[in-house]
Amino acid sequence: MLKRLREHKSLQGTLLVSPALLWMIALLIIPLILVVITSFGQRDPDGNVIYGFSFDNYVRLTGTTDTCQNLGDYLNGAWQMIIGSEARTCFDPLYVQILWRSVLIAIETTALVIVMGYPLAYFVARAPIKRRSTLLFLILIPLWTNFVIRVYAWIRILRAFDILYTPGAVLIGMIYEFLPFMILPMYTSLEKIDPSLYEASADLGANSLRTFLRVTLPLSMPGVVAGTILVFVPVMGTFVVSDILGGKQFVLIGNLIQSQFLSARDPTFGSAASILLMVMTLIVMIFYTRKFGFGEEVIVG
Amino acid sequence: MFKGKRIIWKGLTALVAGSLLLAACAPAVTPAPTVAPTSTVQPTVAPKPTDVPRATDAPTKAPEASPTTAAPTATATSVPAAFTSKPSGKTTASGFACPEPQPKMAVTASDLNLLVWTEYIPQDIIDCFEAVYGIKVNRKEYSANEEMLAVMMAGSTNFDLVQPTDYAISPLLRQNKLQKLDKTKLAVMPYFDPTYLNLSFDPGNDYSVPYEAGIDAIVYNADKIKTPPTSWADLWNPDYIKADRMISLDDSRAVIGATLLILGYDVNSRDPKQLEAARAKLAELARGIKLFDSDSPKTALIAGDVDLGITWTGDAFLANRENPAIKFVYPTEGAIVWQDNYVMPADAPHPDAAYAWINYSMQPDLFWLMLRDFPYTNPNKAALEWAKASQLQIQDQNGDNVTPADLYQTYINSTVTNPPPDAVKSGHRVEDLPDVTPLYDKIWTEIKSK
Repeated sequence: MLKRLREHKSLQGTLLVSPALLWMIALLIIPLILVVITSFGQRDPDGNVIYGFSFDNYVRLTGTTDTCQNLGDYLNGAWQMIIGSEARTCFDPLYVQILWRSVLIAIETTALVIVMGYPLAYFVARAPIKRRSTLLFLILIPLWTNFVIRVYAWIRILRAFDILYTPGAVLIGMIYEFLPFMILPMYTSLEKIDPSLYEASADLGANSLRTFLRVTLPLSMPGVVAGTILVFVPVMGTFVVSDILGGKQFVLIGNLIQSQFLSARDPTFGSAASILLMVMTLIVMIFYTRKFGFGEEVIVG
Repeated sequence: MFKGKRIIWKGLTALVAGSLLLAACAPAVTPAPTVAPTSTVQPTVAPKPTDVPRATDAPTKAPEASPTTAAPTATATSVPAAFTSKPSGKTTASGFACPEPQPKMAVTASDLNLLVWTEYIPQDIIDCFEAVYGIKVNRKEYSANEEMLAVMMAGSTNFDLVQPTDYAISPLLRQNKLQKLDKTKLAVMPYFDPTYLNLSFDPGNDYSVPYEAGIDAIVYNADKIKTPPTSWADLWNPDYIKADRMISLDDSRAVIGATLLILGYDVNSRDPKQLEAARAKLAELARGIKLFDSDSPKTALIAGDVDLGITWTGDAFLANRENPAIKFVYPTEGAIVWQDNYVMPADAPHPDAAYAWINYSMQPDLFWLMLRDFPYTNPNKAALEWAKASQLQIQDQNGDNVTPADLYQTYINSTVTNPPPDAVKSGHRVEDLPDVTPLYDKIWTEIKSK
């Protein structure tokens, strides 16, 4: 038996991945299938799921109302909304707006976190080796405290500036929350750049700006890409920050999903919204990684 | 790569060293108190001249929230003449001396699982129950009935007691989630004011035992609001909306219900046209709402984040205790009245512990603690009587010395905890509307994402 195992490389591989694989099947694949099935069901008056096959929940997400006759009506309604008309003809913008708001705040957060995190990551990567660990340690300190508690701490800070329960407060909370997840991969890729490359660049007559643009920036891109994935995806689905700092009146897709499973007691609609969120995140990520890669140099290296 | 590893190790060492350092320093760090403690504990919510103001309306209807009139009415006979407290010899961590359970029940379970509202059970009561019975109390909390229903409807729940508000009981009954209470095991029933028993949501109290009652109405800070609102409609004042400093309960039924009342509709409307009108009306108000909160509305009121809005009695009372400028108003259209109750799930794993909990936690010499910690309207007449007569020295939330009798006087003199009969009579009770729940939810989502 043992001898067979030693000879069969593929069997060894199977055995090694099986614990993780079983875990994934039990806690990721199966629940995901259940979510897909639930999303096609209907809610009974007491909030139980009646299983079936109906696209109603997805249609509801698009904002199609009962007055719609055809797709033209719907597009016209959407157009009315875009041009700011209050007339609600065949289009209920509620869920589309929530979705759009979620995408927007995810993009804003990611962009600001890159702008704020890059100089810091650069600074840490170029610091003397002895000091680097101290600096990294300082960046990691906030992560020791539970995330929700830190968000509550922000209530006091934001109250002092009188911006608590505003969209700005949510954005600040998001940036604070996700900054370390951007700094760390960027630091890793910046730190790996061989210093002799800078010297070579200088020898060839490039000034420091040119060196940065032609050498440092391209070589650190994998870190930025990995950081973007680590930030954009969770921001899209988060609901804690917007709940606590937004005063519950800054509804993101994450809040919508949460409320469907709790206060609205409509798991079918909540499931449909979850699937939509996943598909949208997937599309954005496919588009993004096609262009920039996965940042795998950072993850693997 | 090797170098990198060394750095990682260094980092880890630094992390450990740093955490030890922080742990050593931690006790020295004390957070500043949220609000400066007031020097007095006596709230000043429109004191009434006397604590027996209800004699006039006694004949027609049992008086609302007025235990002091109990003596002359017929119901007085059901209340034990005088509850004699016996010490159990146990004390809680806060130094509270636990009374002996009466009756002390035989319990084999070692756990009690509660699904209850946030901030609704005094810690001393839990500690006493654990000390006296040796049963561990496990709590899961919720801040909306719908949240509780979502948990309960999800199948086997493992809870022994749940605290639904009136309208949330019927969906549980419809889905056969509750068991009939064994009244022979309930020693507490005679303690209650009959006003809170035998109500429409559970005639005969076969399934529920009252816990506390309250009202959703208008709260405002008199320092900031110069023209106090007197009706729900007054909240739509353009100045308030422009200021964007209002608070609302995160409760779709209460707030949409209040909006329906302004429009002249029923608080329990199922008509999509009326609900659409309410949505449009409420959308105007939403622009002025800064915060939706059902966890602890008093916090934002006390901190000054908001100036006025919709909240429930208990939080209004506590906010007033911290800042006397925070006032409570019963709107002329009628407020939203409610009552929370204990019910027992059909699959409760420790029913014996649950009966022991109901009997002990609501026994008069313990349940008066609600007057100190969560002062909503207290249906437990015997507990109020007990508090009225007790000169026990205790500390209130601010660390000041008070007696239960002081707390009783404050309670009975406050129009918040002891609402005027008119406010209760003109109040509206939210009912279960299973078929239109998705519509209410959609309106609510839209209002919140203004």
